[in-house]
Amino acid sequence: MAAARAEWESRDTLDVLNHDIPRVDGPEKVSGLARYTHDIRLPRMVYARLVVCPYPRATLRSLSFRKANRIDGVVHTEAIKQEGDAIAYQGYDGVVGIVLGETPEAAGEGLAVVDVDYDRLAPPLVTPEQSLAAGAPELRSGGNARGESSSGDADDVQAELESADFVVDETYTLAVQHHVCLETHGVVASVLADEATIYHSNQFVSGDAREFARLLELPNDAIHIITDHVGGGFGSKFGAGVEGLLAARLSRDLERPVHLMLSRRDEFLMAGNRSGSVQRLKGGANADGTLVALHADADRIGGMGNGSLPTPPYIYTVGESFARVRSVLTATDPSRAMRAPGHPQASFGMESLVDELAAGLALDPVEMRKRNLSDEAWHRQLDRVASEIGWHRHPNRTRHGSPDADGMAFGIGFGVSVWGSGSMPITICEVRISADGSISASTATQDIGQGSRTLVAAIVAEEFGLSPTDINERIGDNRLPPSVYSGGSITTGSLAPAVKHGAHLAREALSERVAASLACEPDDLVWSAGSVHVGGNSSRSLTWKQACALLGSETISVNGHWQAHLADQGVHGAQAASVTVDTLTGRVQVVKMVCIQDQGLPLNRMALRSQINGGMIGALSYALLEERVHDEASGLLLTDDMDSYRIAGCQEMPEMVAIIDDDDTRTGVMGMAEATAIPGASAIANAVYNACGLRLRSLPLTPDRVLTGLAAMG
Amino acid sequence: MKPFDLQRPTLIDQAVSLLPVDHDDASAQLMAGGQDLLTVLKQNLAEPDRLVSLRRIPGLDQLTWNSDGSLTIGALVSVQNLADDSNVASRLTVLSEAAASVGSPQIRAMGTVGGNLNQRPRCWYFRNEHAVCLKKGGDHCFAENGRNKYNAIFGGGPVYIVHPSDLAPALVSLDAELTLVGGIGERRVPVADYYLLPEDGGIERETVRQPDEIVTAVHVPAPRPGMTSTYLKFQERGSYDWALSSVALCLWRSGERIDAARLTLGGVAPVPWRCPDAESLLAGRTLDDATCRAAGTAALTGASPLSDNAYKVPLCKGLITRALRHLGA
Repeated sequence: MAAARAEWESRDTLDVLNHDIPRVDGPEKVSGLARYTHDIRLPRMVYARLVVCPYPRATLRSLSFRKANRIDGVVHTEAIKQEGDAIAYQGYDGVVGIVLGETPEAAGEGLAVVDVDYDRLAPPLVTPEQSLAAGAPELRSGGNARGESSSGDADDVQAELESADFVVDETYTLAVQHHVCLETHGVVASVLADEATIYHSNQFVSGDAREFARLLELPNDAIHIITDHVGGGFGSKFGAGVEGLLAARLSRDLERPVHLMLSRRDEFLMAGNRSGSVQRLKGGANADGTLVALHADADRIGGMGNGSLPTPPYIYTVGESFARVRSVLTATDPSRAMRAPGHPQASFGMESLVDELAAGLALDPVEMRKRNLSDEAWHRQLDRVASEIGWHRHPNRTRHGSPDADGMAFGIGFGVSVWGSGSMPITICEVRISADGSISASTATQDIGQGSRTLVAAIVAEEFGLSPTDINERIGDNRLPPSVYSGGSITTGSLAPAVKHGAHLAREALSERVAASLACEPDDLVWSAGSVHVGGNSSRSLTWKQACALLGSETISVNGHWQAHLADQGVHGAQAASVTVDTLTGRVQVVKMVCIQDQGLPLNRMALRSQINGGMIGALSYALLEERVHDEASGLLLTDDMDSYRIAGCQEMPEMVAIIDDDDTRTGVMGMAEATAIPGASAIANAVYNACGLRLRSLPLTPDRVLTGLAAMG
Repeated sequence: MKPFDLQRPTLIDQAVSLLPVDHDDASAQLMAGGQDLLTVLKQNLAEPDRLVSLRRIPGLDQLTWNSDGSLTIGALVSVQNLADDSNVASRLTVLSEAAASVGSPQIRAMGTVGGNLNQRPRCWYFRNEHAVCLKKGGDHCFAENGRNKYNAIFGGGPVYIVHPSDLAPALVSLDAELTLVGGIGERRVPVADYYLLPEDGGIERETVRQPDEIVTAVHVPAPRPGMTSTYLKFQERGSYDWALSSVALCLWRSGERIDAARLTLGGVAPVPWRCPDAESLLAGRTLDDATCRAAGTAALTGASPLSDNAYKVPLCKGLITRALRHLGA
């Protein structure tokens, strides 16, 4: 019999997939049983704390562990930098020493009495203004502004701008934001002479061994990576990091397991950030709303990293465009990937510009958007969110509103998103069935909260008419068959086809045994509700256990591989937000957010809605509150804990409507999560304008900015 | 956090005897609910050898209505219990609303009235262990020319903190007093006099409390008949936060006419900031929009904002308008 190709069933015949599937690890997570890296306790383990320079630029004047070494329970201290060494930037380069103790308390007590002194260098170079000032020291040879690239013809753009009916020329700025993973970055390393076990909260289990292997001079396959659960990554948990390599080396040197999880303060100082940006956009449109020209000058502010920003124009089709983008270095930790790197920033600039042009031309901003969006998906999605948020009943669609007698104003705003998603052809999933009925699916993916663990179980369950909880899904271990990283929203597109293929092969193998027993063709078998029967004759059936028992002493073990035809790529979304602006206090309260998102074949509808809600919540927090703040004189990071770095809480939450775009009839699967994080902040800022005419071109929309803006309006 | 001995006396005199007498002696600190203190310890802002807990001293957690209509609040009454008391809510609304506005449910459950009145400032620089600012023995206030959006617009100089207590402005508007028990004996201090402006010595400390003194109770006199009151707090983050600014307002009215008013601002000065000019302006006027505006103008006259906090002026005016309209409704 020629093996049939694995195919997703049509949406309406799926029993498990395309339904709400509760997370298989939900009960473990909410009850505290789930074991995160932070929770690992090994015999003879020691705990590490880092000695970190708080200043961006300094020279290590002195460092003494004399007092720390006298603390009861301090096991080991070590200088990472020597007296006279330079600290070039705030973050990993500021790690000057380490203290290890029998307990976290002993290590902390030791840390507190480390005698360390620095000679600070001025200026600290914590803002782009400081970095770009004449005579500013170079953070890297070649200067503090680097990587400039440009595209388009500025002269053509200028000509179009001169003939455009309306031109907006404004600068949009975005603060640096943090990932704020609830589980900080870190490792528990247990290194022996010829092998190492590394518990590591990270986003690429299959590829994580390399750096540790190189450091320890061990072969890759002697490094065992274990990542049962990840307490948030958002793009920031790739690679060993200074903390991971230190833990591994010290475990080897001390011959004891080392637990090195960053403190919350260290997390804010060195575990990455979403880059800020400054975008000067000059855009022109015709009276009918057609975007005719855009001249963009943009800086990415990614600390010692390059930051991210897609080259403008973002999403919208513009007649002629010219864009010059560069990175401006500051002496702070390099930016890392964070949920659709660069896209929320680009969205804020472009969506604000489009909104300003619509306002200037007295056009409906939804219609203006549709006029300049090439893909029909965005048109139907904008119509849907507009309808859901009540746009057509809203009185102020072509002009902004004004506050009522009590100073309150209500408005609605919009934004759209795009994301590549896609997949990598490297996942292998082993599906194994034993005669006792146990069935497992194993692949070295990781669940960073997106629900990939549940997905592995659910796809296999669908294949055999079982429940996801019947499947032993094994992930988070690099000794399992390889899988992809979780980044770029490629997990689903890369993982699901391989799991599906493995499940399909396993079903074919088991079907042969069952068909022989039930005297039918394998293709006649129907697997459902925990049993298998001959199609059209439900009396000729076996329970799942009876079917598996036919295997006798044999075990089915098959490897599913990624299948191009099961995956697809490219997602679109649209969001609407309604807000009230309290013009007396400057409070922006988001009343309602609506997000629609396409993603091909929906696999777990509950997880999709959770992702959509998560995208809206993250964007709301970015829009209203989140901002990294440095003292410009000393360079100290002022927002270094969760009191001073404010993230949204329950009182900030609006009514949220998460819509899965079922008009997307593509049959392949793909991830979509990052797209949902893109346009929310833009929609909120546009809603503030629609409410009261206050155009804020700088995020976050904190009360001081709102009140200052209102005062400037007079 | 440095290890410490936890001492749990059962008598107030024992507690007093465990406290240092000298302002320079930082060896022991008082602990009530621990909601601010533990943060201070974790941020390495204080490293006491001993914590003297008040929680085993009986009688400090009582809320007592006296026969003359006054209220005695034990220092260890939890903020949540104060917020939940229905008599406080009806007779002393401003205090009830102030209590309900504090922190989060968890913080209100553990935090106490005495602790709330004695918490340390939230200034970014004060809370950063590496910023040796004037309040911590350094030579200048970092906030004065630094990042100061949360700092003082009144009463600043040479330091510019704002006092973070929500209960304090309400208690000032209610003419409340505190009982302090210490080595020199017992004394009563009006809440309005408890807090120290920096220029009056409040640089490294915020109150007149001596190191060996303990706030044991708060006394709220029976309000004069006809009082209505409200506490309006504005937080940057609604879910839990300290006040960017707040208004503790008490009004006595005959019909539309205001007979008397008490107005105290929170979050704008190193102390609860009473606004006598606005109070006198309100007395005798009709409660209308013009009065609201005039009261706001009177209250904010003399404000001297720093580089990043001028927004507090319109914010306070807005809150005063809202509070007056709320009581006038």
